[in-house]
Amino acid sequence: MAYHSFLLEPISCHAWNKDRTQIALCPNNHEVHIYRKDGARWSKVHELKEHNGQVTGIDWAPESNRLVTCGTDRNAYVWTLKGNVWKPTLVILRINRAARCVKWSPKENKFAVGSGSRLISVCYFEQENDWWVCKHIKKPIRSTVLSLDWHPNNVLLAAGSCDFKCRIFSAYIKEVEERPSPTPWGSKMPFGELMFESSSSCGWVHSICFSASGSRVAWVSHDSTLCLADANKKMAVASLCTETLPLLAVTFITENSLVAAGHDCYPMLFTYEESQGTLTFGGKLDIPKQSSQRGLTARERFQNLDKKASSDTANATLDTLHKNSIRHISVLAGGKANCSQFCTTGMDGGMSIWDVKSLESALKDLKIK
Amino acid sequence: TPRRTGDALRAFHAAIRSHPANCKNPAMKEQAQGTMLKVLTSFKSSDIEPAVNSLDRNGVDLLMKYIYKGFEKPTENSSAILLQWHEKALAVGGLGSIVRVLTARKTV
Repeated sequence: MAYHSFLLEPISCHAWNKDRTQIALCPNNHEVHIYRKDGARWSKVHELKEHNGQVTGIDWAPESNRLVTCGTDRNAYVWTLKGNVWKPTLVILRINRAARCVKWSPKENKFAVGSGSRLISVCYFEQENDWWVCKHIKKPIRSTVLSLDWHPNNVLLAAGSCDFKCRIFSAYIKEVEERPSPTPWGSKMPFGELMFESSSSCGWVHSICFSASGSRVAWVSHDSTLCLADANKKMAVASLCTETLPLLAVTFITENSLVAAGHDCYPMLFTYEESQGTLTFGGKLDIPKQSSQRGLTARERFQNLDKKASSDTANATLDTLHKNSIRHISVLAGGKANCSQFCTTGMDGGMSIWDVKSLESALKDLKIK
Repeated sequence: TPRRTGDALRAFHAAIRSHPANCKNPAMKEQAQGTMLKVLTSFKSSDIEPAVNSLDRNGVDLLMKYIYKGFEKPTENSSAILLQWHEKALAVGGLGSIVRVLTARKTV
């Protein structure tokens, strides 16, 4: 696995360009820094300074090469590369709380922003006025929208919220697209239509992801659960109570397999069994270092007893690659249908690239379906 | 004696099964808590681990909720035995089961 320590501070969010030679990330402040790969090293090539608050979301459109960023300053900017300079365009989101997440739609003609204003701003470019406008999806969201993901049809939008629910809305904008054809989530899709709403879990929904086909949506909540709704099974929801600390990020890597990571600092595999409608834990994806097993001296043993009331030899350092919570996962190669590489960033300021084939050969019991 | 062990295990499963889910009546909940605490404290230390292993995932989560409820309202010597139950339940349910005690909307 390739691990690079960018910062001593948390990486708030990140996004990759199309050919994966550049990564844009927020170094826990009001800026976005873009690094380019130079052989084995990373060099900082741009600093985007426009936000007046922490940048909470970044997305990089692969075809049009535009960046969109959003922040706690309640603003979003669309950035276009002119020569060697990134030029920002302000987008008025009409929100009165921090923006928390942003995603370009698959066709890159719209983007959606989730915020603490308990609504989603769906933004599109209005040609005649030469600026970005937005429409709001409000009902029935009751709290901050923490995560968003678009369906491949460019219309349906999944949203995870602090009101414990995962919802799928229509974000159909007649000004920029044709009427969408029916999907397993429904056929009538006027703007703002609620196509699916999960029953309450007991935790904020940190991350949400459509499968490559769009007929499945998975989400992770703060009550240490992973859930999946299958539109081909009448939107039946499978859920798994994990034995881990809450997960903060999830992505599909095949139509049946998911990778999620969070406060336990390592990514893990989950498998969806369609016939039984179940989710199962498939294993930890971090290959532990070969740590030397040295015995404890009598003094250390006594100190352990005194401090921790136990004399076991488990040390206090993490043997995972990331040394703090993982906040974001992105698919680098293969797409969500057949992911061969994914990337994690976290509170330890580090970025790690995980190779699926290497994981499969190193972890003998790993079964990716 | 084997008969006494069997009684405790049966009482344990009965208490888990008869947990009043979705109940808002405080008197009923208190009664269920009291019953469960009696059952948990009647166990011999060596019988705790097999009892925990006989539960499914939901059972372990439920047990963890009762353990923390028992910590909230300690009786003479209850905490010592509850700590043993906690150790065994944690081994099976992981930190996730404790997270779900903290996030649960419906308390036991």
